[in-house]
Amino acid sequence: MTPMIWTCELTEERLSDYIDNLLTQEERTAFLQHVPSCANCAPLFASVSHLVKNLHSIAEVDAPPRLVYSILDQTLGPRDSATGWQAVLQWFRGMGTRRFTYGMASLAATFLILVTASGFNWRHPKAADLHPLNIYRRADAQVHLVYARGTKFFSDLRVVNEIQSRLRENEQVPVNQEETLPQPTPGKNPGSTDGTRPGPREQNRADGIYRNLEVLADEMPVFTGLLGGSAR
Amino acid sequence: MEQDAQLVQQCLRGDGSAWEELVRRHTRRIYNICYRFTGNRTEAEDLSQDVFLRVYRTLGSYRSAHGGFATWMTSVTRNLLIDHYRRTKRDRATDSLEDKMPVVENKESSARRPDEQALLGELSGQVQHGLTRLSPELREAVILRDLQQLEYIEIQRVLGVPEGTVKSRINRGRIELARILQQMGVRPS
Repeated sequence: MTPMIWTCELTEERLSDYIDNLLTQEERTAFLQHVPSCANCAPLFASVSHLVKNLHSIAEVDAPPRLVYSILDQTLGPRDSATGWQAVLQWFRGMGTRRFTYGMASLAATFLILVTASGFNWRHPKAADLHPLNIYRRADAQVHLVYARGTKFFSDLRVVNEIQSRLRENEQVPVNQEETLPQPTPGKNPGSTDGTRPGPREQNRADGIYRNLEVLADEMPVFTGLLGGSAR
Repeated sequence: MEQDAQLVQQCLRGDGSAWEELVRRHTRRIYNICYRFTGNRTEAEDLSQDVFLRVYRTLGSYRSAHGGFATWMTSVTRNLLIDHYRRTKRDRATDSLEDKMPVVENKESSARRPDEQALLGELSGQVQHGLTRLSPELREAVILRDLQQLEYIEIQRVLGVPEGTVKSRINRGRIELARILQQMGVRPS
């Protein structure tokens, strides 16, 4: 018995039979021998099988909620409006939808975040804490606190940056230290600013850096070595 | 299936709540078939109402021996959609295809990540646009097989055509739709 020969025409006609698993074993073997190596069939097979996979992954769209009621009104006639417990039950039934649940969950999460951010004490809650004026005051205080901390943080960063840049400058200087160090000038009066010694402004800045280093050394021991190396 | 047949029997005895249950069970599916066929939410809503109205009026003609209630209802839907297609053919000829671009719908699948949902939403819009460019015979075959995921035998009952015709329409519909999507720039990932 001669093996079945698959052709490009057969692919056009029966591609879906392969995708939906409707081919016989013999047809399937012939399909697999031809299609992957055929320049015409391989791209066609790829695009159609990809399309089918995509179509299966597309979710159904939601029908408008009013549609059911419109249909019931048209077929059974306008319904009597529910009263008493029935009305309450209908109201609760509406809360069972996934969309409503997500909406409520996100609303609750937003409320929790806002109340917590405003400084509400969850461990010892008081009714007065929920007063709008108190919430406003706490929120105002929190905002100011965050602003002050932010300002201090950036100020500290600036100081550290300045110290680091000064230290880098100092590290570069000793290469020609012998040549650049000011030589004592015979006969020159102490405190005079003839350009060979640091002036009062430079001295003040150096003092400021040293004070910053002292503060940093108190907070962070890693700077202790630097302090020792740059002692006056 | 069994439950549908039971509900139909209750409806025929005049039980309004049984009809309400049937409507609630099938509205979403029927609406989706109509939406995928027309590509328009308002038309899909109107057509879904027409389908249920016709089903309600002809409920007595349903015989469970001829197949499930869902298949019978899909068949009624299909007939209405074809009627609607013929009725609005002239209007559509004057409409621009661009006007019919469907909006990207909100996906329900909560298990997917937002980026996946966005991609699927975009894909859904492109597929919907592609579907509207298929002939109604091929479109309905693809919708029933790949979006409603009906078996071939069910599609055969819905369309009332031989098995070979169903297979041929599904195959041609898929190939045609794949080519349309390629022309639209949708490439296999």
